[in-house]
Amino acid sequence: MSNELPPISDIWVYLSGSPLLALVLTLSAYWIGLSIYERTQRNPLANPVLIAVVLVAGVISALNMPYAKYFEGAQFVHFLLGTATVSLAIPIYKGWASLKRRIGVLLLALFAGAATSIVTAVGVARWLGVDESLVRGLVAKSVTAPIAMGIAERVHASPTLTAIFAVSTGILGAVLGRFVLNGLHIQAWWQRGFALGVAAHGIGTSRALSVHPEAGAYASLGMGMHGIAGAVLIPYLAGQLF
Amino acid sequence: MIQGLVQLFLFQAFGELLAKFALPMIPGPVLGLVLLLLYLALRGHVPDHIDGVGSTVLQHLGLLFIPASVGVVLYLPLLKANAWGIASALLVSVLATIAVTSGLLKLLSRAAEEPRDEQ
Repeated sequence: MSNELPPISDIWVYLSGSPLLALVLTLSAYWIGLSIYERTQRNPLANPVLIAVVLVAGVISALNMPYAKYFEGAQFVHFLLGTATVSLAIPIYKGWASLKRRIGVLLLALFAGAATSIVTAVGVARWLGVDESLVRGLVAKSVTAPIAMGIAERVHASPTLTAIFAVSTGILGAVLGRFVLNGLHIQAWWQRGFALGVAAHGIGTSRALSVHPEAGAYASLGMGMHGIAGAVLIPYLAGQLF
Repeated sequence: MIQGLVQLFLFQAFGELLAKFALPMIPGPVLGLVLLLLYLALRGHVPDHIDGVGSTVLQHLGLLFIPASVGVVLYLPLLKANAWGIASALLVSVLATIAVTSGLLKLLSRAAEEPRDEQ
């Protein structure tokens, strides 16, 4: 008896009770996402996070694994979001020295852009009759995802919906941003970059970086400034909208 | 590497404490970001050990929001029922944000830089 292998269901029970399964699943899905992204010459449509989310969601649905069970293991990855948010101080500090002479103009454009982002998203969604529980998830979606999720918790929105909307916004901005910028005849790299960073945070920033270094530096600053300003102002604005 | 990681965790912890006891409306990590920014400004440069760990973490930022985003499985029926409205809201919003931000930058910097050109 004791020489026989344990039945497959026992192995399964053991594995699904350990954080390893969720961790391996998350990391390998991201790895697959990254290699597809690299193979398509960093096409923003092949966003590695989007690919990984679809893969993990597919696998846990196929395994009948409840999301709560998956998250129990994956929370070790999730925890590092806070650390990553703190680290955003590094690119902001590095960009600051060369950008501070334009700070007045940048701040005005940031506040106008941030307000436009919230008002248009909530306005269009309500006009088209979107369920109110989803509308709340739109409030912080132009802010970089780690900060957006922190804001979401404070305005009683779902951090999950906010993250999904943030990633979708980033992809749309990175793919379509240049058509708007060309249509408005915006030629200066710093103006193009900053607008992408404000509207499409990290995904827009990596797009800007791959086009031109000056655009990338201003995109990082736009993303960082929007993160800090959003964390302070969005909870108050949300109080007015809901 | 360990030194940098410890320092980042410390700033994160200070931020969480500040959020808990003084500024509950702002997420703790954002306060940690501001504290680290002040520290870097005081030092006058980014110490190598913080730069190394911080840049590595930021390089794979996308990985870190996968666990929360997979929660989308819980919202699929609701999202499907509202797909058209949500897609339109996201699209209009991002395009309008890019247009307003870049348009205003162009307008304001032209106003600020033109008088200087005439001198």
